[in-house]
Amino acid sequence: MTSPTDHALRLPAWLSSLFFLALLGLVALTAWQWRNGPPISANLLQLLPSGAPGELEQLAEQRVQAPLNRDLMLLVQHEDEDTAVALAQEVAGNLKASGLFAQVRRSVQADLPAMRQQLLDQRLVLLDRASREALIASPEDFIQQRLQRLFSPFESTSLVPVEEDWFGLADLAQRRLPHPGNIHPRLDGALLAEHDGQRWAVIHAQIHGDAFDDKLPLLIDDQVRAARHRVESQQGELLAAGGVLHAAYGQRQAREEASLIGSVSLVATLALLHLLFRTSRVLLVALPVLVGALSGAAACVALFGQIHVLTLVLGASLVGVSIDFPLHYLSKSWTLQPWQAFRALRLTLPGLALALATNVIGYLAMAFTPFPALSQVAVFSAAGLLGAFACATCLLPSLVNVPLQPWAAPLSWAERALALRQRLLGRLPSSWLLAGFVVFCLAGISQVSFKDDLRQWVSRAPALQQQAERIGQITGFEPTSQYFLVRAQTADELLERQEALGTRLDELVAEQKLRGYLALSQLAATTVAQESLHLALPRLLEYSQPLLALGMTAGALEKELAALQAKPVTGLDQVLAGPIAEPWRPLWLSTRSDGTVAGLISLQGLRDSSALHGLADGIAGVSLVDRPAELNRLFAETQRQAALLKMFAAVVILALLCLPFGWSGALRCLAVPLLAALGSLACLGWLGQPLTLFGLFGLLLVTAIGVDYAILMRERIGGAAVSLVGTLLAAVTTWLSFGLLALSSTPAVSNFGLAVGIGLVFAFLLAPWAAKTTEEPAS
Amino acid sequence: MLVALSLLLALTTRANAFDLVQLSLQLREPTVVRGTFTQEKYLRALPQPLVSVGTFVLARDRGLLWFLQDPVQQDYRISAAGIARRTPNGWKQTSQQGPAARQNELFLAVLQGDTEALQRDFELQLTGTTQAWALTLTPRSRLLAQIFSTILIQGSATAERIELVEAQGDSTLLTLTDIQIDDQLSPGEHHDLAD
Repeated sequence: MTSPTDHALRLPAWLSSLFFLALLGLVALTAWQWRNGPPISANLLQLLPSGAPGELEQLAEQRVQAPLNRDLMLLVQHEDEDTAVALAQEVAGNLKASGLFAQVRRSVQADLPAMRQQLLDQRLVLLDRASREALIASPEDFIQQRLQRLFSPFESTSLVPVEEDWFGLADLAQRRLPHPGNIHPRLDGALLAEHDGQRWAVIHAQIHGDAFDDKLPLLIDDQVRAARHRVESQQGELLAAGGVLHAAYGQRQAREEASLIGSVSLVATLALLHLLFRTSRVLLVALPVLVGALSGAAACVALFGQIHVLTLVLGASLVGVSIDFPLHYLSKSWTLQPWQAFRALRLTLPGLALALATNVIGYLAMAFTPFPALSQVAVFSAAGLLGAFACATCLLPSLVNVPLQPWAAPLSWAERALALRQRLLGRLPSSWLLAGFVVFCLAGISQVSFKDDLRQWVSRAPALQQQAERIGQITGFEPTSQYFLVRAQTADELLERQEALGTRLDELVAEQKLRGYLALSQLAATTVAQESLHLALPRLLEYSQPLLALGMTAGALEKELAALQAKPVTGLDQVLAGPIAEPWRPLWLSTRSDGTVAGLISLQGLRDSSALHGLADGIAGVSLVDRPAELNRLFAETQRQAALLKMFAAVVILALLCLPFGWSGALRCLAVPLLAALGSLACLGWLGQPLTLFGLFGLLLVTAIGVDYAILMRERIGGAAVSLVGTLLAAVTTWLSFGLLALSSTPAVSNFGLAVGIGLVFAFLLAPWAAKTTEEPAS
Repeated sequence: MLVALSLLLALTTRANAFDLVQLSLQLREPTVVRGTFTQEKYLRALPQPLVSVGTFVLARDRGLLWFLQDPVQQDYRISAAGIARRTPNGWKQTSQQGPAARQNELFLAVLQGDTEALQRDFELQLTGTTQAWALTLTPRSRLLAQIFSTILIQGSATAERIELVEAQGDSTLLTLTDIQIDDQLSPGEHHDLAD
């Protein structure tokens, strides 16, 4: 079959040997990268720029994020409370047995002696501000209240016995300690949350490792499903919430979509090719796709350590683009008969190389944005295209070098379409059409809203969201992403600053703009406050007559006071070491290397984050960390940056196109995809769809792919009609993969798919204009 | 209710003798019980008990009014919603926390003879007859055992003597006297419980 001319047209043999070698290396590299399972991550945070500049900020962020990623909360409800508790016990037992959790807790078996000891040792530092002030301002009332508590049958049980706490300071400290949330133990220790007259048995589990570890979310999700099944089989109800469930949902969804969209587009594309070229040989065009996906994944794992599922979903659509390379020369078989693969490749190689270069430039421009998400997709796509190109040029031609007799009809359709276009242009000049198009674009673009939100990056899981909200309402635990970071020179200063801020937060709580907060100042008093208590204590003796009347002896009271006054002031770190301090411990960021200290104030149930802005004004060392707001700023900034980078890429592409086509030809070729992108943007506006960061990325992709079509139409190898058929083929196959993304349940991906899908239609429709100037002089 | 009763019946070993079901039914019989109480709190630390007196009203399914009169005055109300204290501005729910938070339920369950609820947390041992019975409660859970070592209730038609022995060695003795059984609440009591 190989003729001498054919042979002469072959690429040098060493090139294909080199390709084989590289392919072997790629396979080996991938095998090594996947040696410990798939290096796939579903952690959204890895796709975000780490907005936290310093070590302290990163630590704070970790502390705040940890429970969101690690905790799983399950609530079990049943008409019969005991059944609910029994079911919770069974579920907790199963969770524990699964070995997936570091801790599963459904009851308190508190270590009362240890709590008692801490109350006793630290009663002065644990006393809340109001009680301290009451003691100092009016020792007489303070004693009266002590008396009332002693006689009350319902407030009698104090952890510290009376003979160790004559004045009831430990008793008071115990009662005044804030109790975060709405979960209380039953008398048997089972944790219950009561809301709207319903009681829910509570299971609190902490997973081993991170919510985003590869297989963990799916395994945990299975556990939760089994638990739900069990509870519902007993006519109970189970609610579950935790970052890990969202991760599982996202992973499942992304993997399903990646494989579904990938395979549907591949199968549809191959079916189409088979229909047109009528030989199963042509199905080998899937090879470049495979090599492309391999190289993309390998490059991502090599550069980022792993590959994100979102990248995989977007990367799956690369199928359509990388198939374009072989299509460019396969479509020449309509006119270049007898078909010789190497001849067609030789003829199209400059155009192919140009298309590759413009595409890679287009992708790589995105790699320089500060958003790891975009960088990853860009790297995946650029490396994927390079791999696919290498395979399409070095390997594929020798595999498809068989006689090709494509179905003739499409060519005649294309000829008719071009003739129709010519007639249309005869009546309606291009300039008029352009003017109409520009008006359409301007009107559409004016309606585009720019919206970015992290929530668009995850698939919609309303059921999960709803459960999380209900659990928040029932338990009172509604952690927010906003928090305050407080810095100070000393622990005392830190407590003072937190207390000052706490007073303002109390007002928000009273206005019901905030459900609650947790601050270190709620737990411990400053050393200054402890010292002033020391000074005020002797006055208690003056008013201790009612206590003496009960049989307490003056000697015992004096002895207790002397012991209290002899107590050295207690430091914050000592208080934090005790069992009572457990909920507060994560808030303490400890002493920094420069001797300063830092701590957090975490918030619960924030209704309106704008209420926090300006709240810390006038209190030194306090900064509000509002990660969502910060991200929104970053999104907007990245959009601007991406647009600038893209303009820069367009200039580079223009310069590149100048080499073969000259200035005006290059401008024409570039105008086609730029107008297509504008048209797509306008359609988003008309459709009422926002432009997200990924949508913008899609538009940039349209310009990169559109350049290909322009180049194809411009070069007209084999004639205008053949080029149109080739362009149509490329557009349809690309559309099959990108267009399908519009169906994704992840808003960001769907927005991306829509932007590319519409843009491709415009790019195809506009492509013939790329060739116009050469048409006239030639005719 | 029927299911629960039959379950309790099945659990009871001495079906013919005076049993927990009978006691439960007996204590749930009156709609309203009024009386006076004497509370003696024996603290290991004090040579004499803390003695206080007052009146109470126990309303079936509604809750308990507990009016402490001497030596300090304080009105309490215990209901399913928790404990409230009377302040010059009306009833104020006290915020209850920690393991002690559910003790009011226990208190209500004891007075109302809700043996079903009590059995969840305690081993129950009943002796005596309808006219003179004694019920001993031993905590089942470690948490509760850290607070109470045992609770002893004695009575006839109603509970008359309740002794709570705390794990730390302190104990409280409640004696209910002048007990009157009624079938309705006074308007004032109604108001206090409804508020």
